[in-house]
Amino acid sequence: MKDQKRIAIYGKGGIGKSSTASNVAAACADEGYKVMIIGCDPKSDSSITLLGGKRIPTILDLLKQHLDVNEKDIVFEGYGGVKCVEVGGPEPGIGCAGRGIIVAIQKLQKVCPSMNDMDLIIYDVPGDIVCGGFVAPIRKGLVTEAYILTSGEYMPLYAANNICKGLAKIDTPLSGIICNSRSVTREEEIVRKFSEEIGSRLVAFIPKEQVVQDCERDGFSVLEKAPKSDIAQVYRDLAKSIMFNDQSILPGSLDDERLRELTR
Amino acid sequence: MIGKNLSIMHPRPSSIVAALYTLRDLNVDVAILHGPPGCSFKHARLLEEDGIRVVTTALDENGFVFGGRQELSSLLVKVNEMFKPKLIGVVGTCASMIIGEELREPVEDANLDVPVIEVEVHAGYPDNTKGVLITLESAFEVGVIGKEELERQKVLLREATLVEKRHGAASKEYLEPSRGDVKYKVAEKVVRLLQEGKKGITIMNAKKETGYMFADVSAAVNEVALALGKEGNVVNMANIDDSLGLPRVRHHAKCITADLQERGITVHEVIGGMDEYPVTGEKVGELIKQKYSDYDFAIITGVPHAIPMEALEGMEIISVTNGPRQVLPLKEMGHQHVIVEIDLHPKTLGVNHIVESEFGATLREVAKDVLGR
Ligand code: SF4
Repeated sequence: MKDQKRIAIYGKGGIGKSSTASNVAAACADEGYKVMIIGCDPKSDSSITLLGGKRIPTILDLLKQHLDVNEKDIVFEGYGGVKCVEVGGPEPGIGCAGRGIIVAIQKLQKVCPSMNDMDLIIYDVPGDIVCGGFVAPIRKGLVTEAYILTSGEYMPLYAANNICKGLAKIDTPLSGIICNSRSVTREEEIVRKFSEEIGSRLVAFIPKEQVVQDCERDGFSVLEKAPKSDIAQVYRDLAKSIMFNDQSILPGSLDDERLRELTR
Repeated sequence: MIGKNLSIMHPRPSSIVAALYTLRDLNVDVAILHGPPGCSFKHARLLEEDGIRVVTTALDENGFVFGGRQELSSLLVKVNEMFKPKLIGVVGTCASMIIGEELREPVEDANLDVPVIEVEVHAGYPDNTKGVLITLESAFEVGVIGKEELERQKVLLREATLVEKRHGAASKEYLEPSRGDVKYKVAEKVVRLLQEGKKGITIMNAKKETGYMFADVSAAVNEVALALGKEGNVVNMANIDDSLGLPRVRHHAKCITADLQERGITVHEVIGGMDEYPVTGEKVGELIKQKYSDYDFAIITGVPHAIPMEALEGMEIISVTNGPRQVLPLKEMGHQHVIVEIDLHPKTLGVNHIVESEFGATLREVAKDVLGR
C-alpha cells in the first residue's frame, strides 16, 4: 500500500460534514490526487454533489437483496475521478445501522482492491460516535486521522467536545478542527480557543455562503459549479492542509462549565 | 452480481462452533467465547472433554449495551493465571459482533506474553466452514500456521462445502432425521457376503476425531473375515496419513494407525489425511479402477457421501455415518444400506484409542452366532 491519507470527518448531525467532505474531495481531485469518498450516513448525501445530483446504489441496498457485490456495483466515479461509495442503512426504526456499517465496510475492503491505490480516503461518518458499529471504520484500522467539524454555537461544540472524548478513548488522533460558520458572533475566536484548549488547532474557517447551498441544490460541489468563488479557494486551502498535515494529537476535552463559558 | 442459492430450514452447524473446533485442532489450551453465557454451550462443554478449556465472558444485557472490552481483557488475565496456557483463542459471537466489539483492543489491554488467536465470527453464515476459515486466517496472522497450510485448508474447506451441498445436509431444504437401517440386519448381510466369498473394500473416510470410532468398523469387518477364513478377500482404505493437517489432526492419524497395526490390520491404501475427507473421492475412484474393479461390496464409514458413485459402480454399498440427516441423501445416491452411529461424537472426544462402534459390536456378535452354528 502506498502512503495514504485515511481520514474521517466527525461532527454534530446537520453541521455540514457531507458538503465539506465532498468539496474537499473535489479540491484534492483537482490537484491530481486519487480520492475516494465513503459516505456512511444513511442519507447518502456525500457523493450526490460529486455525481451531478445522481444517487448511487448503496452497499447495503445490494446486500439486502442477497446479491453478490462487485466493485463496479458499488464504486462510482464522479467529478475529477473521485470514487464514490455509499454505505446506506436499514429503514429507520428497523434493524441495526451500526452493524450495517461494519458489514458494508468489510465488504468494501474485500471487493475493492483499488482502495489501496488512493491518495486520500474520506469517511463521511454519521453525526456522533454512538455505538460500536459507528466507529467501525476507525476500529478496523481503516481511519488514521480524524477531523471535527463544528460551528461556534454551543450544541455543535458540545458534540465536538464529546467526540474528542470518544477519540481519546479509542486512541484515534485528531488532526484538527474545522469551523463551518453559522455567522455567530466571535465565532472564529471561539472555535480557535476551543481547538487550542483541547490541544489541537483550527485548520479552516469556512464562511457561510449561499453559493454552497445553491450548488448543492443543483447537485454539484462548489469546486465544480463555482470554481472561481472565494469559498472554492477556502476548500482548496483546507484540502491542502489535510494533504500536508503531519501533526495529530490525542485530544483532551473541556468540562461543561468551561464549554459554556467559551460560548457565552 | 449473482443471487444466493437454496435456503435451508433445518438448523445447521454453527460457524462459532466450527471456530472452536478449529482452535482445538490448533492445540489452543483455552478458548474464550466473547458473548452470552449460553452461546454454543453444548459444544463448549463437549470440547472440554477434549482437553481444552472453554470459558465465556458471559455478556448480559449490560454487556450488550455497554460492550465487554473490560470483561474480555480481565478474563484473559485471569485465564492466563489460572491455566498457564501456551496458546489462547478468543471467539466472537453474534452478540459481541453485532455491537461492534473489537477483539484486538482487549487482547492488547491484557498484554499477555502468550499468543492469542482472535476470531471475529458470528453464527450467521450459511456455510459453517467460514468459522474455520476465519480462525485459520487469524492463526496465520499470529504465526501459528504457515501460508502453505492456510492455502491447503482453504482448498479443503471449499470442497467440504461443495460436498455438503451436493449430497450432504445442505442439499435439501429440509431433511428429516433418521436412524437408518437396523444394524443387526446389515451386519447379517455383511457376514453373509463374506461367507459367500465375496470380495469387499472397507473405506474409512472419516472427519478427524470421528475416525476413532469409524476405524472400529473397519477393524470388525477384518476380524470377522479372519474368523471366516476370508481375510484375503478384504482390502482396507483409510484417510490416516499422519503427515497432513493441523497438529491435533495429525496426532489422531498417528494414534489410529498405531491401534490398527496393533490389531494386525493392514491398511492397504492410505487415501489422504484426516482433514481430507472432502477430496479423497477421486483417489478412491482411481484405486478401485486400477486394482479393485472386480470387488463386490464396499463398506464406507465417516463421510460416505464424499465418495462419488461412479467410483463404486457395480458394488453393493454399506454406509456408516454419524449424521441422522445423512441417511436420506445417501439412500438417494444409491447406497443400499445406511446405518447411523448415534452419539458418536461425544464418545470420540478426548480419546487416543479406537472406540468400539455399535455396528462393529453387532458385526462381531452376529459372526459369533454364525460360527457357532
Ligand atoms: S444467537 Fe449467536 S450469540 Fe446468541 S447463542 Fe446463538 S450463536 Fe450464540
